[in-house]
Amino acid sequence: MDFFLSEKQNIVRRSVRSFCEREILPIAREIDQEARFPWEVVEKMGKLGYFGIQAPSELEGAGMDTVTYCIIIEEISRACSGLGLCVTVHNSVAVYPLLAFGNNEQKRKWVPPLAKGEKIGAFCLTEPNIGSDAAGVESTAIRDGDHYIVNANKVLITNGGVADTCLIFTKTDPSAGHRGLSVVVVERGMPGFEVGDLEELSGNRANPVSSIRLSDCRVPAENILGKEGSGMKIGLAALDTGRIGIAAQALGVAQAAMEEGIKYSRQRRQFGVPISHHESMQNMIADMATLVESSRLMVYRAAAKRDSGMPFSKESAMAKLYASEAAGRVTDMALQMHGGYGYIKTYPVERFYRDARVTRIYEGTSEIHRMVIARSVLEEYK
Amino acid sequence: MSLNIIICIKSVVTSAPGGRVIRTADNCILNPFDRPAIEMALKMREANGGTVTAITMGPDTGSIALYEALALGVDKGVLVTDRAFAGSDTLATSKTLAAAIKKLKPFDLILFGARSSDSDTGQVGPQTAVHLDLPVITGAKKIEFSDKKIRVERVIDEFEENYEMTLPGAVAIDPKAVDVRDTALSMVETAFAKEALQILNLSDLELSIEGLGEKGSPTKLVSMSKVRKKHNCEFIEGSPEEQADELVKRIKAGGYIG
Repeated sequence: MDFFLSEKQNIVRRSVRSFCEREILPIAREIDQEARFPWEVVEKMGKLGYFGIQAPSELEGAGMDTVTYCIIIEEISRACSGLGLCVTVHNSVAVYPLLAFGNNEQKRKWVPPLAKGEKIGAFCLTEPNIGSDAAGVESTAIRDGDHYIVNANKVLITNGGVADTCLIFTKTDPSAGHRGLSVVVVERGMPGFEVGDLEELSGNRANPVSSIRLSDCRVPAENILGKEGSGMKIGLAALDTGRIGIAAQALGVAQAAMEEGIKYSRQRRQFGVPISHHESMQNMIADMATLVESSRLMVYRAAAKRDSGMPFSKESAMAKLYASEAAGRVTDMALQMHGGYGYIKTYPVERFYRDARVTRIYEGTSEIHRMVIARSVLEEYK
Repeated sequence: MSLNIIICIKSVVTSAPGGRVIRTADNCILNPFDRPAIEMALKMREANGGTVTAITMGPDTGSIALYEALALGVDKGVLVTDRAFAGSDTLATSKTLAAAIKKLKPFDLILFGARSSDSDTGQVGPQTAVHLDLPVITGAKKIEFSDKKIRVERVIDEFEENYEMTLPGAVAIDPKAVDVRDTALSMVETAFAKEALQILNLSDLELSIEGLGEKGSPTKLVSMSKVRKKHNCEFIEGSPEEQADELVKRIKAGGYIG
């Protein structure tokens, strides 16, 4: 059993960290406060391959494994959670389903511009009445000759404000329940494609989360991903992969919060000594470090299982549940260590606290993950 | 004419808990001072054509620096490694490097970083050049190549010096000479997909074991401990204007502003 990263993975971590510390960290507070998507940095990230981490080289990707992918998401999120979110969603639930379920023509058409970061991808499942219950999607794509007429109201779409290539979950057969669920790829600019207002988010504010509406949008029939009725299969496969990415994002935020907590505990003096000398602070430091390290082990292990070709659904759900809840506790402790200052936006822990919260909600809530894990465990021990 | 450049690099340690240096994959990185030299080599290759070969002497962890260099765009990596080299000071290191570089002929130019971030001597570059009987310029800000010659600009003690050097020769690069590039993910994949590193052992080099490693090192590291800086806090009294004047006076007296 080998718990150590390879030379290649260490080099990737150092390279990404160095880029993020130079390009993202200095603007992290500003892009959070102004809720600004930093195109100037995103363009550089595209050139370095961050938007095609696992796509093969023949489709302009970097062809890396899932563990390395997690390291990259973790490092970007350590600098800015909203950008980590942008990159993980783009890679795991936009590019990956195209690679896994697209035909050669679709892959050649959509993947290279996405992998180079020239276009941004989005995964559009959530609707005003539909969150965890994917089978209940109310959007429709009705066949009309060699086109589909798509009507959809998608909300809370990560990357929505900047997305060019959108995977729309819609019913091609509204009477067939989850068997009628299909994925249609819709591109920004098609007549009837409309981006709604950006949401005023609590955390991850650099990410332009918005609604996307399609009104009688005529989409060529060849834009269907996989075949009619395979939407549920595509969704589940994408989310299994996406969860590891969100777990890595939560891990990055927790790591950043822990580092800030430790740094502050060395600077802040109370009762004549740095507060890091006080046992109550040391207890928090020990708990934070243990939570971060255990999250990291779970995230990398789920990723390693995926890389080895083994089933990883349970492990990815466990990693996402654990890392997101750990991030909640770690950011809370880091803020507590700062006392009143932690509640001021001047200190980054205030941002980390807001950023961490949503990781327990999106790409499957903690509650849904417990359900997935319990089902899998009950099956295992029957 | 294209240029064949050799760049000498080092895997440096980033931490030595308790003063003990144990080199592992987690605490070794490419010497940050080597990055501008690599960048300079890559820019010269882009402008003139040719090859860039990175070479390092050290234990197995030396491969980390070589792979980082390959991921930046270097063509080939050479690891010079043997138990006989262990404990080398700068003299023994440069002697070994010079012998290995002779095996990489033909070359036009050898580049070095200004110094290493862990031992910080800046000696290996000039010493290696001497062993190879080559001219050397340190602190280079700019290199222009034409017709088997380079023009080198260096700034030292507020004087700009311009040299012309007939190749082959050696140059050590100023840390601020160029902005270094970021590593693209696909380049990391390419680095590891390239044929394995070339390994040179003692038996590959025309060197006798005398004068190598710890035995051949006139300098020895006796001990290492962390220096704790003492900070003294002093309050300046007076009106805000008086405090500001006093502060400026002290900063000037300390030589921090002119």
